[in-house]
Amino acid sequence: MKKRILLLGLVTALVSGAMVGCGGQKPYPKAGDVTVIVPKAPGGGTDTAARGLVQYMKPNLEGVNFVVTNKPDGGGVTGMVETAKAKADGYTLGLVTVELAMFPHQGKANVTFEDYIPICAPIAAPAALVVPADAPYDNLDEFVAYCKENPDQIQVGNSGVGAIWHSAALAFEEEFDVSLKHIPYPNGTADIAAALTGGHINATMADPSSFKSQVEAGSLKILGIMADNRSAIYPDVPTFKELGYDMTIRAWAALVAPKDTPSEIVEQLRAAAKVTCESEEFKNYFANQGIDPQAIIGEDCYEMMQEDHAMYGELLKKLDIQ
Amino acid sequence: MSEILAALGQIFVPINIIGLIFGTFIGILIGAMPGLSVNMGIALLFPLTFAFQGIGGILMLLGIYCGAIYGGSISAILLKTPGTPASAATTLDGYPMAVKYKQPGRALGLSTFGSMFGGIFSTICLILLAPQLAKVALQFSKPEYFALAIFGISIITSVSSGSILKGIIGGVIGLFISTIGIDAMSGKVRFTFGTTYLMGGLSFVPVLIGLFAFSQVLATMEECYKKPYEKYDVTINKVFPSPSDIKRVFVTLIRSSFIGTFIGCVPGTGGDIASFISYDQAKRWSKYKDNFGNGEPEGIIAPEAGNNAVSGGAMIPMLTLGIPGDGATAIMLGALMVQGLQPGPLLFTQHASSVYAIFIGLLLANIVMGFFGFSLIRIFTKVINIPKEILLPIVFTLTFVGAYSYNNSINDVFVMVFFGFLGYFLNKMQFSMSAIVIGIILGAMAEANFRGSLIMSDGSLAIFITRPICAIFLFISLLSLLAPLYAPFIKKLFKKAKA
Repeated sequence: MKKRILLLGLVTALVSGAMVGCGGQKPYPKAGDVTVIVPKAPGGGTDTAARGLVQYMKPNLEGVNFVVTNKPDGGGVTGMVETAKAKADGYTLGLVTVELAMFPHQGKANVTFEDYIPICAPIAAPAALVVPADAPYDNLDEFVAYCKENPDQIQVGNSGVGAIWHSAALAFEEEFDVSLKHIPYPNGTADIAAALTGGHINATMADPSSFKSQVEAGSLKILGIMADNRSAIYPDVPTFKELGYDMTIRAWAALVAPKDTPSEIVEQLRAAAKVTCESEEFKNYFANQGIDPQAIIGEDCYEMMQEDHAMYGELLKKLDIQ
Repeated sequence: MSEILAALGQIFVPINIIGLIFGTFIGILIGAMPGLSVNMGIALLFPLTFAFQGIGGILMLLGIYCGAIYGGSISAILLKTPGTPASAATTLDGYPMAVKYKQPGRALGLSTFGSMFGGIFSTICLILLAPQLAKVALQFSKPEYFALAIFGISIITSVSSGSILKGIIGGVIGLFISTIGIDAMSGKVRFTFGTTYLMGGLSFVPVLIGLFAFSQVLATMEECYKKPYEKYDVTINKVFPSPSDIKRVFVTLIRSSFIGTFIGCVPGTGGDIASFISYDQAKRWSKYKDNFGNGEPEGIIAPEAGNNAVSGGAMIPMLTLGIPGDGATAIMLGALMVQGLQPGPLLFTQHASSVYAIFIGLLLANIVMGFFGFSLIRIFTKVINIPKEILLPIVFTLTFVGAYSYNNSINDVFVMVFFGFLGYFLNKMQFSMSAIVIGIILGAMAEANFRGSLIMSDGSLAIFITRPICAIFLFISLLSLLAPLYAPFIKKLFKKAKA
């Protein structure tokens, strides 16, 4: 009897060992589902970008099945930490957002860009200077002059103190040596759009795609965009760089793998991401929703994360947030 | 006129009608399941809209939207477990009517009727008054939001039947919970004890499931021990509310629908606030004030008409200004843009037929919702007949599934269990769960807008008095807070005048 049980156990162990072996021998990504952890709630910008990206990436990566899992608690930190700590076998990927470059300096997260290997960033929304259409300034220089005449009077809406669009306004203050009044709208850019349209605040420096319908309807205007290149959605709006000010503020979301993921898997993912991000269907998917699609792949993405990490380290020092 | 015909042509395509019906049905199911929220339902089915040509996908989303707000009332009435936060107020009178007085058919009939009426009323407001209401909504700046939040919080004294002091204590607990996490006004973290989980604040839905569902399971379990098993046998004679019921609630119906529409069109507010304010106003003006909390028909119809009226209201700023008032309309805005329809003032001139199609679609969604509601009442009420020994474990499991699936977080499950036990004991001590819920819903809104207003005014409190809308709201809140103090005097005066 004992023998039979032993045998049974041995056979089970052997068979399951063999099965695991089989799984291992299959080339990536055929041995199972690839989980993509999104650190934000369903329906938001990061979630839309993540779902769009994996939907169009699937055909470019034979045999893969992406499973998107939302882990929005802890203000998005929980999800990012979980990706960093996941088994580095390519079967768990995750999205990280620009907050990864900001939170470590504020003592809100103990992970940084160094805990991940980036695959690609499908979106990097720039900060745009948006003002009501009837405001007495029509370009950046006039706005700056107006700010200097009225120190601490210009009310600039942001999405919460220490968050990305507040940082944009802080960087603006430093670059132009002006002093603004920062008004937080914790629920995000929709509330800023309402306040701007209602004439309750003077300006905002935030993602211009949130203001598309008001700009088209002629109630708001955009004076400049803090990016290296002009936006595909607003081709007529100058960048700060063109106007002579080197300022780049961007709210990116990047698909990343845990740090120790084997390089051949990373390369495979990056190649697929490159084809995806450059395809027309992918670009249309984002453009249709008023989002400017990006194709920041691999090392370029790593550089962007590194640059922003350093920049926010400097910028947020001014702010007493610990 | 030709545009309306074109709109009808867009809608009455078999696939679009099927999409609308499917969406409404799925919406009702999502709404009835605690833990699955309106926003989640819409977000998860959003990719399906790509499969539709033109307006079809939007019709499906409208169906989910209306259905889910309504669906929450089913579990609120039958299980005392609000399926969505918007139905928390419905438990106050819905559950007593369904279970204590064994009239689940009447309760569900009233809630279905109220939801349908509220939805249709707000759609008509949307069609007739959208530009005007949008203008009023745009007048709201931080001081007005603060005043609205205070107005909402002042309701605590009226929803906490029994001790007002206990109501206020509950409200304070709620306000405290709303301060946990990153403070958007200073960027600092508060009350997180160094944990990452608490940085985003306590998630509202797990807390709600704990306070209402889990604590209810515990309480019912206790009853089962005390009392021998008795079989409920509830038969339903008719599902449509009786003429006398409709007569009794008619004024409340109109008032709540208007409140819901208005709250809906103010960006950043939603069905949870609308339902509580509607409930409070219904109680204040009712002839049957003392019956509230004890299965009063007006207490069911008010929150349900109020929360469904939000659907039409929330579409107003989204369509006319391109500003989404809540998560659900934000996703719909995305869906419209995918179809090449950019919401905003230009939509009405450039795509008039699509706008009419959305209007008619919203009307149809409410009618389909009512149809499903009334025809399914007989099936839903079977829940009451299920022996507690079988029902309890099912609800018990659902509380865990719901708490986990909301954020895919095991910590949310712990929070749910904690608040479940807290709710159980607070219930025993006759604290009001609704007061806690109102505190959580409105605490962050009151605080952020109070501090934001003071930044705008450079610290001067005058900003709250000099702005008319704000001052009026604050004055009404003060009146309603102090009502228990001066009401007896006024009553005496009236009696003297009569005599």
